Amino acid sequence: MDKKYCAYICTGCGIGEALDIEGLTKVVTSEMSMDCKDFFGLCTADGRAFIEKDINENGVNTVVVCACSPRVMSDEFNFGEDKITVRANLREQVIWSAGVAEEGKEEAHQEWLNETASDYVRMACTRAKKTELPDPYQLETLNKEILVMGGGIAGMTAALEASKAGSKVTIIEKADKLGGKALGWAKQFPTKMPYTDLEPNSIGTMVAAVEADANITVKTSTEVARIGGAPGNFGVTLKAAGSQSEWDAPAKVGVDEQDLISKGQMEDPNVGLKPYAEENPEAQKFGAVVLATGWVPADVSGFTHLGYGVNDKVVTNAQFEKMAKDGQLAGLKSVAFVMSPGGEDNDQDFPYCNSVTSMVALKQAKYVRESNADAKAYILYQHMRTPGHMEYFYKGIQQDDGIFLTKAAVTGVVASGNGCTVTATNTLLGEDLNLDVDLVVLAAGMEPMTKHESSINLAYRQGPAFLDLDLFDGYADSHFICFPYETRRTGIYTCGGVRKAMNMEETIDDASGAALKAIQCIESVDRGVSVHPRSGDKTYPDFFMQRCTQCKRCTEECPFGAIDDDAKGTPLPNPTRCRRCGTCMGACPERIIGFKDYNIDLIGSMLKSIEVPEDDEDKLRIIIFACENDAYPALDMAGMRRNKLNHMVRIVPVRCLGSVNMSWVRDLLSAGMDGAMLLGCKYGDDYQCHFVKGSEIASKRMENIGDSLSTLGLEPERVRSEQVAITEYDKIPKLINDFVDEIVELGPNPFKGF
Amino acid sequence: MSAQPDLEFIKYLKDAGGDDLKKCYQCATCSVVCQLSTDTKPFPRKEMIWAQWGQKDKLVADPDIFLCHDCGDCTVYCPRGAKPSNVLGAIRAYAYTFYGWPSGLAKLASNSKGLPMLVAIPSVIIFVLWLISGGLAIPSAAEFADYGYQRFFGHWDFYWLSKNVFFIDVIMLAAAGLAVVASYNGVSKMWKGMAENAGLKNAFRPSAGSFIKEFLWPAVQEIVKHTRVRKCNENNDRVKGHLPLMLAFIGLFIVTAWSALANDVLALVPALHFLHGPMSFWNPVKILANVSAVAMIIGIGILWINRSKKEAEKGLTPTFYDWFLIWEIMVVGVSGLLAEIARWAGLAGPGYVIYYIHLVSVMMLFMYMPYTKFAHLVYRTFAIAFEKYSVSSFGKNEV
Repeated sequence: MDKKYCAYICTGCGIGEALDIEGLTKVVTSEMSMDCKDFFGLCTADGRAFIEKDINENGVNTVVVCACSPRVMSDEFNFGEDKITVRANLREQVIWSAGVAEEGKEEAHQEWLNETASDYVRMACTRAKKTELPDPYQLETLNKEILVMGGGIAGMTAALEASKAGSKVTIIEKADKLGGKALGWAKQFPTKMPYTDLEPNSIGTMVAAVEADANITVKTSTEVARIGGAPGNFGVTLKAAGSQSEWDAPAKVGVDEQDLISKGQMEDPNVGLKPYAEENPEAQKFGAVVLATGWVPADVSGFTHLGYGVNDKVVTNAQFEKMAKDGQLAGLKSVAFVMSPGGEDNDQDFPYCNSVTSMVALKQAKYVRESNADAKAYILYQHMRTPGHMEYFYKGIQQDDGIFLTKAAVTGVVASGNGCTVTATNTLLGEDLNLDVDLVVLAAGMEPMTKHESSINLAYRQGPAFLDLDLFDGYADSHFICFPYETRRTGIYTCGGVRKAMNMEETIDDASGAALKAIQCIESVDRGVSVHPRSGDKTYPDFFMQRCTQCKRCTEECPFGAIDDDAKGTPLPNPTRCRRCGTCMGACPERIIGFKDYNIDLIGSMLKSIEVPEDDEDKLRIIIFACENDAYPALDMAGMRRNKLNHMVRIVPVRCLGSVNMSWVRDLLSAGMDGAMLLGCKYGDDYQCHFVKGSEIASKRMENIGDSLSTLGLEPERVRSEQVAITEYDKIPKLINDFVDEIVELGPNPFKGF
Repeated sequence: MSAQPDLEFIKYLKDAGGDDLKKCYQCATCSVVCQLSTDTKPFPRKEMIWAQWGQKDKLVADPDIFLCHDCGDCTVYCPRGAKPSNVLGAIRAYAYTFYGWPSGLAKLASNSKGLPMLVAIPSVIIFVLWLISGGLAIPSAAEFADYGYQRFFGHWDFYWLSKNVFFIDVIMLAAAGLAVVASYNGVSKMWKGMAENAGLKNAFRPSAGSFIKEFLWPAVQEIVKHTRVRKCNENNDRVKGHLPLMLAFIGLFIVTAWSALANDVLALVPALHFLHGPMSFWNPVKILANVSAVAMIIGIGILWINRSKKEAEKGLTPTFYDWFLIWEIMVVGVSGLLAEIARWAGLAGPGYVIYYIHLVSVMMLFMYMPYTKFAHLVYRTFAIAFEKYSVSSFGKNEV
């Protein structure tokens, strides 16, 4: 595309009064060799018309808007897909962050402010020059059918919902019939007003609906051997349940393992299996996958004081449900439901229970009462969790004269006579309890299948299972805060018991959501754009393969397993698996990975365009690489609250800290700038990184660069990596200003002027 | 504790006005608003779960159950509509039956099914005695004007004890005696249960005199002053009805005691013979009697209206336990007053019928006192005394 540039400086919102607009215009026209115009209120209809006139009459196609933050007025400054628009953030991060001049330094303050604004304008103009329009990535053939793994409530709901939305669906189910766990339920939770009474098990209705649906193909007694390919083009090899196949997904063999195997020091775990990269010509093609493989009852034998496994009068809720289903409750006169393993200091429920076991205990207490008019059911809980409409269910069960509830710390269960004695302390009755009952039911939780097996059986370089951060007890990792259905494998969405311990009502909601995500994914692939979190992004990473050294850093570090190896060992990107975070670009030591509007050269040139004054201790230059997801908006908010940022700071937005290539840091220090800070999202136990690993990887890279700086004779303190939450706009200015003070303490970069 | 929930007890409470008791989910809002609640005794939160768990033995020996004056704040603030005050009323009703002796009679007095029998027993006894006495005849106008109801049971010439007084004493002293014995029985059982639950050792007991002086009399004083009822917020209106009613009972007690003494003892002395016979309207004792009778009717009337209003507007459950006593007192008051009016009007026939009804209702009041709501008269008094006792050096057993 032949670019015709024009920069527009907005003089509204106080920009015109605070800055030397003439000076800025000169920067654009002389240094950047672009046309430059100013206008009061570019975001108004008049302002937009002012720009559109140039576009229509003068053929301007690359617009630099020097006004407010790119996070606001995005519709106002959208001039169409065939135009490039770059924004310089003069409002939030320049004039609103300028603070008030110190006494006696008014002139210097004004000078610094104009220098800051000029640098932002230079960076924006440079970016405009380096940005190219993206061509969306298109698959040769797009497969729109959805694969649903698991034929329980979650899987069937996902299939039905997807079908209603017009998609073709295949459900595969390990068992010989549809229905899943629900087939074993004697009764089910209420589903309609007044939500007080148990309902007959309705799973049959759902099974019939699935079987009658022309869009849905059902394959029972079937498992997935492997899933290869990428969203829009998954190649799924199926097999008979329980059988072995040469197409079973191979275990992960990383670079180190491969080394050991070749040296004969390690057994190849994948003997007899087709390599992961090999495509099965027989494989069935799908566009997206919904994983609804459910859960298994958790093992409770570890709580020895409760006697499970030793005392046959102690059963789990799953076993009790079977007893109820088989009509074996008639002889029971009293049953205690223990919802928490107890012990005096422990008020935790059994693991993996969420709110479901509360409701199961209520339901099963009702079974006891319905099977025998004199029977008594005791529910000993630490937490009674009945969300949403289920509060009515709780109230309804409470009304039963023979159901006795109390909060209690159960201290033990011992056999006595024909039954058990349950002892409990800290009860609401004000005294310790001894309950003589015929049977004790323990509220075992729901362990996700992903805890026990790889479930998804991917033929990916990063292995057959979901990557696990070891943070979620075996649940598939996702960005739980923002994208709960998403997994770390694009195009694969979990729902139902495999995602969270949930009841039927929640499962149905959840599965509907997952079905819609699967459709959204396929539609995005169709349009060649990213699914999430950068929904609609048309760019994708380009690899300049001729210079690739096969170091495999990109394949290892990609948080989403988007990059496989080809037969020769060069990276094989799968753009439809990609989330466009740029972690590969940050990882690549050869700097051969980049996007059309975001690459090594583009950011590097922006950094070079910053003016670095020599021999002036008041004019050091410190670069903040700020993550666009949280840190950059937090900086904007700091500006909106008029928190002062040091005038020596220049902020560069990045897609994710994972995309920050260390060459930028090295180059900016070589260019005489005095320090650099990476400002990203929190990582660790409650990580907030939108790309899961970006900020963590970045801080590791920064440790390494610190070492190489010291060999150059530069203080490693000049570079730092920090994490902030989006809400911490009140802390960020201090964090940055303190860093600046430390750099000032260190003095100017000794390379300045070389 | 070994919990053995009593399902029958729960059912009883539900039928006796506590029908919402299972709605409680133990948030303790009631304990926050209740004057009686302390840090260690979250009343009535704990009583609510005891009731849900059918723990009747704990509840009938719980002093707080009787100390509760049914102010109703708990019910007003309860977020689940469990109406704790209704449940506590039902527990009290149960307790009176539980402590009642003889238990057959107590059970009879506990619900509306027994009502025909409750009315029939005194009606028959009095009618039979009336028949036996030979007084069963409508007197002449002159006789009625001279003697009023003093020859209801006829007349004999035995100077020291008139026939009427003999029959009345036989009826009323027997009924009152039964009530006293039953109350003593019940209160002792209750006291024992409370002492046990509170862990009192009772190594040293006060003498009867010091018990009355230190515990019972202060309790009675509090009751007469309505100190506790006045602390109620929601149900404060009751003082306007209950206070005149209680004062009326005290007044009528004085009048009855004086009449018995004056008529049947002092008047036997020839010099004091003028004390005998119907009193004049302006006799101070008569004035007290009439004022009390009117106060009784007004007092019970106010309570009647209050309760009806609460049933209509606030969903209070009507119970036999509450309404039996209201009706009973109303009948006593109205029949007494009407009998008096009939005497002034010289209407012997209607007068005698009304007087008969009056005697029946008074006998019912006496005889069923320990089993009906009227029992709060003794149980609450002793519960207040127990409260004082339990924190005294006797109760705490600080030796």
